[in-house]
Amino acid sequence: MPSVMITGIGAISPLGNTVDEHREAFAQGKSGLSRLEMFTTRYADLLYFGEIKTSSDALRSILGVSEKNVTRNSLLALHAMQEALQMSGLEPQQIAASGTALIGANTTAGICLTDELYHDANRDTNPSAYINDYDAGSINIFLQRIFNIKGVVNTINTACSSSANAIAYGTRLIKSGMADRAIVGGVDSLAKFTINGFNALGILSSEKCRPFDKNRNGLNLGEGAAFLILEREDLTGNKKILAEVTGYANTNDAYHPSSLSPQGNGPYLAMKTALETAGLKPYDIGYINTHGTGTENNDEVEAIAMGRLFEKIPAFGSSKSSIGHTLGAAGAIEAVVSVLNLMYQEIFPSLNFDTPMYEQAPAPATHHQKVEIAHIMSNSFGFGAIAVH
Amino acid sequence: MNIIQSTCISAQNTFLTPEPAFGHLPAGSKLEAKEPPYENIPRSLLRRMGKAVRMGVGAALPLIEKNITPNGIIIGTGNGGMEDCIRFLNQIIDYDEGTLTPTNFVQSTANAIAAQAGLMSGNLGYNITHVHRGLAFENAVIDALMLLKENPKANYLLGGIDEISTYNFNIDQLGGWVKEEFPATQDIYETTSNGSLAGEGAVVFVVGNAPDKPDIKACQTLHSTHSQEVMQSLGAMVELHLPGGFADVDVLISGENGDGRFKHFYTDCEALLTNNTAIARFKHLSGEFPSASAFGLWLSGEILKHQTIPVNALKNPGSTSTFKNVLIYNNFRGQQHGFMLVGLG
Repeated sequence: MPSVMITGIGAISPLGNTVDEHREAFAQGKSGLSRLEMFTTRYADLLYFGEIKTSSDALRSILGVSEKNVTRNSLLALHAMQEALQMSGLEPQQIAASGTALIGANTTAGICLTDELYHDANRDTNPSAYINDYDAGSINIFLQRIFNIKGVVNTINTACSSSANAIAYGTRLIKSGMADRAIVGGVDSLAKFTINGFNALGILSSEKCRPFDKNRNGLNLGEGAAFLILEREDLTGNKKILAEVTGYANTNDAYHPSSLSPQGNGPYLAMKTALETAGLKPYDIGYINTHGTGTENNDEVEAIAMGRLFEKIPAFGSSKSSIGHTLGAAGAIEAVVSVLNLMYQEIFPSLNFDTPMYEQAPAPATHHQKVEIAHIMSNSFGFGAIAVH
Repeated sequence: MNIIQSTCISAQNTFLTPEPAFGHLPAGSKLEAKEPPYENIPRSLLRRMGKAVRMGVGAALPLIEKNITPNGIIIGTGNGGMEDCIRFLNQIIDYDEGTLTPTNFVQSTANAIAAQAGLMSGNLGYNITHVHRGLAFENAVIDALMLLKENPKANYLLGGIDEISTYNFNIDQLGGWVKEEFPATQDIYETTSNGSLAGEGAVVFVVGNAPDKPDIKACQTLHSTHSQEVMQSLGAMVELHLPGGFADVDVLISGENGDGRFKHFYTDCEALLTNNTAIARFKHLSGEFPSASAFGLWLSGEILKHQTIPVNALKNPGSTSTFKNVLIYNNFRGQQHGFMLVGLG
């Protein structure tokens, strides 16, 4: 089967609007977590969030989007996708070729417009401008139209592991010969829907989240988008190869709708299968970008699952300690971070860690370090307990 | 990739029946599913399930119990659990973001169907939900086709599921996707107005490699508003997979839905066929919904199995009486086009 190369990456998150800004901010250990300044909710001053301080109107003008019905999700996605396309140098006719696929993930789509959706769904006013754009597919249908994409276009929702699955799906399309190239990624913006949902589950922290710390008490929701350009090896020509997608796996924990099994069966199996797909041994992995949400359940179980697989757990950290949990964007953003780690042979500090979860518990890497790494593993786990690599 | 088994919950009597009975033709703009009693779902669990989850799990469980431990669960759904989604959203607004219960939130995520089916059957395998509006199911099929290339001995559960909730019905109606007049269902094809009949259903297949069963030879998709481009793409697929091209197509299952704006796509598609081809359609039986092509695929399996086209689904009998190759063409809102080729042998 052909190798699948990454030739472009793009990202927008609370840490920056470009990949370069991300690298600088991550390396400096900057936190993108704050109180809310732009988004209105009664939790704005009560909890911490990863909020992008660029308004939707500003995004509209940066991107030259004039249609009214374009959601913040679509704008963030377009922003990240454009950066990735530019980096890879794909020509418009290559983007619109029948062999180019677009695979995007999200969990909120038009639900980010909680108030508009409320009125439209309950039919208590005239239809809003967004009436046809609430569903999950709306973002990628918008991107498809802009770039006139003619290959496979798909949207995946496996909750918090969605965009990791989008990357795997795009890779498999290329490996199976159903696509030559795939533009893959994910997006989610802050929404009253998810803020109140995770709050009702009791897993939002009122402090900045502390992945793998004994005193962790929940996650912070964030927003962002990231895209990667995947190309079949023989099509990359003289392009700079940023990294290769070598392994992936999707397994089901089958334990509980919103928490992980104590032994981390799903996560363990996903990590193990991803290594097998890649033809790697545990000791080949130089760094793990963990799911690391900062909830009591996730971090403990993830550490157990890592301990089961790795004789010696490699260096690891959580990007969510810097930007929060961006849900459907998380897997793609963390893949972009992993690509940066490989490109620059460095790892970024995991923030807000102080005390290990228990005696002998593994501790995340908390300093910016130059390292020699050949392989990185990136974990994503979702509601309904699906683990993806 | 072969259809080894299937279950279908729809507006018709299709659940675990030996042959499809399509006698249910009510008037109105909603075709609600005839749901079975779901005897294999614990009552306490059933009460908490939204309709999409209930129908999806209800259709999946008999297949899991019957024989196989599938290697994974692949679901296509345009809307997921819309009822739970808006119920939770209503709570947010009505209680001004006060203290809320998370049940509706957890159920509202589109992957709740696949997750719940996986949870109830203890399935640790591949688990995914495709949600790309009117091509959610086709993308699930493409996923399954790839998986079976990767693991030829595996079996997967493949489903297309969508519910009519009050809320997505309201949104679709405001968006101009539901007919405002109330034609008798079988008359929708005679109308020229906008919109169709709202529908819902859960169709779940066990797919794997089993050469004597109906074979899903190909599944292809295209986003386009230009009929010529769509027909070119469809033609290329048919030429690639059938040596005689369109002459080898014995049955066309058409996704025609009575929406006057998009009828020309189906007319153009029929124009590609020879006189051999029988034409069947189903939206007056199932109603329109994002994953309705799953009903079309199920119907293709039934036609191949029983070598007969249910009379209520027949548009044009064609001259062939043995059915070997079925082409399914469906478009969603004139923009998302899906083609599937199903054959015997």
